[in-house]
Amino acid sequence: MTKSHNYFTSSIGKKQIMALTGFGLVGFTMAHLLGNLLIFLGADAFNMYAYTLTSNPLIYVAEAGLVAMFVLHLVLAVFLKIENSSARPQAYYVKKKTGRGETFASVTMPYTGLVILVFIVLHLMNFKYGTHYTTMIDGLEVRDIFRTVVEYFANPLYVAWYVFAMIALGIHTSHGFQSMFQSWGVNHPKYTPTIHFVSLAYGLTVASGFSILAIYCHLLN
Amino acid sequence: MALNLDSKIPEGPIQDKWEKHKFNSKLVNPSNKRKFSVIVVGTGLAGGSAAASLAELGYNVKSFCISDSPRRAHSIAAQGGINGAKNYPNDGDSVWRLFYDTVKGGDYRSREANVYRLAQVANNIIDQCTAQGVPFARDYGGYLDNRSFGGAQVSRTFYAKGQTGQQLLLGAYQSMMRQVNKGKIKLYTRREILDIVVIDGKARGVITRDIITGDIERHVSDAVVLASGGYGNVYYLSTNAMASNVGAAWKAYKKGAGFANPCFTQIHPTCIPVSGDHQSKLTLMSESLRNDGRVWVPKEKDDKRHPNEISEDERDYYLERIYPSFGNLVPRDVASRNAKLQCDEGKGVGETGLAVYLDFRDAIKREGEDTIRARYGNLFEMYQRITDESPYKQPMKIYPAIHYTMGGLWVDYNLQSTIPGLHVLGEANFSDHGANRLGASALMQGLADGYFIIPYTLGNYFGTNELSKVDTTHPEFQKCEDKAKEQINKLLGINGTRTADDFHKKLGRLIWNDVGMSRNEAGLKKVISEVQKLKQEFWSDLKVTGTAVGVNAELEKAGRIADFIELGELMARDALARPESCGGHFREESQTEENEALRDDTNFAHSAVWEFKGASTEPERHKEELTFENVPLTQRSYK
Amino acid sequence: MSNKDMTIHLKVWRQKDRKDAGRFEDYTIPNVSKDMSFLEMLDVLNEKLVLDSKEPIAFDHDCREGICGSCSLMINGQAHGPEKATTSCQLHMRSFSDDDTIVVEPWRARAFPVLKDLMTDRSSFDKVIASGGFVSVNTGNAQDANTMTVSKENADLAMDAAACIGCGACVASCPNASAMLFASAKISQMALLPQGKVEAAQRASEMVKTMDEEGFGNCTNHAECEASCPKEINLSNIARMNREFFKSKIFSKKG
Repeated sequence: MTKSHNYFTSSIGKKQIMALTGFGLVGFTMAHLLGNLLIFLGADAFNMYAYTLTSNPLIYVAEAGLVAMFVLHLVLAVFLKIENSSARPQAYYVKKKTGRGETFASVTMPYTGLVILVFIVLHLMNFKYGTHYTTMIDGLEVRDIFRTVVEYFANPLYVAWYVFAMIALGIHTSHGFQSMFQSWGVNHPKYTPTIHFVSLAYGLTVASGFSILAIYCHLLN
Repeated sequence: MALNLDSKIPEGPIQDKWEKHKFNSKLVNPSNKRKFSVIVVGTGLAGGSAAASLAELGYNVKSFCISDSPRRAHSIAAQGGINGAKNYPNDGDSVWRLFYDTVKGGDYRSREANVYRLAQVANNIIDQCTAQGVPFARDYGGYLDNRSFGGAQVSRTFYAKGQTGQQLLLGAYQSMMRQVNKGKIKLYTRREILDIVVIDGKARGVITRDIITGDIERHVSDAVVLASGGYGNVYYLSTNAMASNVGAAWKAYKKGAGFANPCFTQIHPTCIPVSGDHQSKLTLMSESLRNDGRVWVPKEKDDKRHPNEISEDERDYYLERIYPSFGNLVPRDVASRNAKLQCDEGKGVGETGLAVYLDFRDAIKREGEDTIRARYGNLFEMYQRITDESPYKQPMKIYPAIHYTMGGLWVDYNLQSTIPGLHVLGEANFSDHGANRLGASALMQGLADGYFIIPYTLGNYFGTNELSKVDTTHPEFQKCEDKAKEQINKLLGINGTRTADDFHKKLGRLIWNDVGMSRNEAGLKKVISEVQKLKQEFWSDLKVTGTAVGVNAELEKAGRIADFIELGELMARDALARPESCGGHFREESQTEENEALRDDTNFAHSAVWEFKGASTEPERHKEELTFENVPLTQRSYK
Repeated sequence: MSNKDMTIHLKVWRQKDRKDAGRFEDYTIPNVSKDMSFLEMLDVLNEKLVLDSKEPIAFDHDCREGICGSCSLMINGQAHGPEKATTSCQLHMRSFSDDDTIVVEPWRARAFPVLKDLMTDRSSFDKVIASGGFVSVNTGNAQDANTMTVSKENADLAMDAAACIGCGACVASCPNASAMLFASAKISQMALLPQGKVEAAQRASEMVKTMDEEGFGNCTNHAECEASCPKEINLSNIARMNREFFKSKIFSKKG
């Protein structure tokens, strides 16, 4: 009974922070997708957008926040997974879903999460810290990230991996999005069906949006 | 030793008795309460509310239950509701009317003073439970809703959906768990009571068996409160839970507590009938179904056709025929008895021939399926779940089943048995229901005893009795423990050929046939000798597997059945010694020309109290005369 | 067609006591009637085992009408079997077919250790209730029941939450063996009623603390608990608990 029980070590607290960080990451992902759509407008538009973004000194604060959210989300996921596994030391020999509860997305959260983790590491290596080309726009030397991207997607295997990872992201967020509302106590017969719909739509948008961009870049080669 | 049957009813007008008694009761100083310990057996409405209330006062309570959690006591299964005399609907209810109805409903075989007190505290129960967060049904204004129940002329029943018993029990359970958390109640779950320890003539403890480990344990206290429920399972098939048993009460009887009116048992007419030998228990269907359903059997014996193929003129709507004015709404005992008579004549329906039809065809035709669904939808659903038949498409099959026992350990006005220090609450005592219990009264009585009576009367017991210092090393504990162990070894050592359930089923059939809905002298005499024979067979041919160590459900069952067999005999004796008909006890020798129950107030306006005289001696019947000063004696009539 | 025409094969978890490793044993039961409840089928098997001088299967059961919450069987990988809103004792053999093989296991969770065969120790639930699942009102304190009104909507919602029978199916079916639905049902019931509101924050805080200490898992919003709850307790209760808990930790001085 002496074990400390504060918000951050409690089951619900952890879950809510998980949801909060997830919320931040979901927001970031959506912004990222919207920014990436500039690829359709051509190299200059995209490169200029990237330049504007990275040249703002606030980017370091934003990046730090992003990293913090991500790490917190990840660490909590690991903790929750370990705790949840130990809550049932002996597994059932036969376990069948009712079909009214668990979904593919909810069951695969740790796995889709893992795919996303690997993806993000590779993604940063390939793009943020990938080949550094430069280009001139209106007399200003900026990074030609557009070229890095297009060259990367020349390889169909990379496209396939990217699409796979984006589908994982879509699945992950389609559960995570609505789950976040539940964790924060938003559950109402009037609004919950809408939240579930939006959640699904979000997952679908993210998965298809990023995937289409990757395929588009491939076709640019 | 003769039983001391002084009921200790306070003097004075009935309205003032309880107030006066509370004032005259000795109090225990708050700081002294923690010096007293109380054992409470059972955690149903009576035991749970008693344990919580006594712990709140400061007593050290040890609470015992047979289930893995106090929340599982069988009070949880009560559906209908709980009575109170709040008169919220402004329809003329009062404490006096509730008192009057209950005495009359009990067919004048209960104690007026007790029933009046019950009606008096009924309102406090509603208040208390509401304050605990019991989600009673409410109307749109946010006020408590009432309904009329069991033929009452006023709406005085409070309810929580069809789960009133569950919600009241959880209220008591939660109050109890609050005291567990505070350390004022020590909880012992999965314990069977093997004996009551009586030292210097006073109840001072219990011997228990831990159902998980098999350990025999000694528990000492300054007083024992028994709230172990009724004995309906003597019939094998009943609406009671599987573990409901008479063990603790029976051990108390054998230690000198008088057992009152064991033959007063209540049989409910609308239960789902038995479907085969495998049947382990019966499920009650609300008697409100008789408001719209018509009861019938085929006119021809052994008519095995599908009910829908039996035409109107081949049907016998026997209740409407015999009781033209009351029809299908005759009281519980009449409806039950007539169903049995039809089946005895070979007109019973269904695979076993032990059922009658309750038909909604005409009601559906008259009012439409939607109206009927709105009224009984959940009941029809429950029926279909169990029987796989839709009452919308074919008649329901129903049959009476035992579901409450009015008899029990005799107690005085303080709820103390004839053993000083042994208090008995709820269904376990011979209660305030006389020979027949009204709907929604059982929950009221259990909670009245636990919340509002025992906290006062137990204080008075402590305040007026000199209690010697006793611990579990006292030789009497050793003696009781040895006896309990001896019985266990005896049960394990018979090594015969028949299972405990086998004996239980046999016993159930015997008691059901002859001490059931309708009783007569020849049958009762016959069943006494048959039960005695069964007892001999039990102790020579029982087969119990396993050992005394660890979980052994067969051993538990065997011990309970040993008690039930002895109780069965006493029930038959009690029924035999009461040649009048009253309430649930119908003696064929005592009926009017219209086959209605005929009371004999001249000779039998008393409670019969049985005293145990040893295993080989017949028990002795004592009387507590009942006087009716406030509710005039009248014969029930359904005309 | 006769009603007694099924042969059922059972694979039942047998475990001598807490420490035993446990194993499955196979049984075949002939002449199973479709009208039998699942537990009555086990009764028939046990009766036969006793007559064969074998140890009967231990399982928890009591009221056999779906209200006491004693029965607790994992039947073919589903808590209380395949039917919706049904306890094991209300499950009838007509839900199965002739020659079916049915696997029966106990609830499995760290907080529900197996005592013997299919019996588990669910006293952790009692501890959760003891830590705060009540209104602190002593006997005799109460005012007239109608002095406090409760909107019908809230009274009905409270009743729906209060319908919990404490069987543990939520824990058993949850992939994380979490007890959130159980705890939230009580927290929710009390938070919805003015009587319970006074100590709502403390209640949520204490009950969640006990729940965590007892070794239940965390909620990851699968809703498997809601799906297998025999009393159909709603997931919105967990959401309400999450709110109450957050309030208790952020706004209350003690939390």
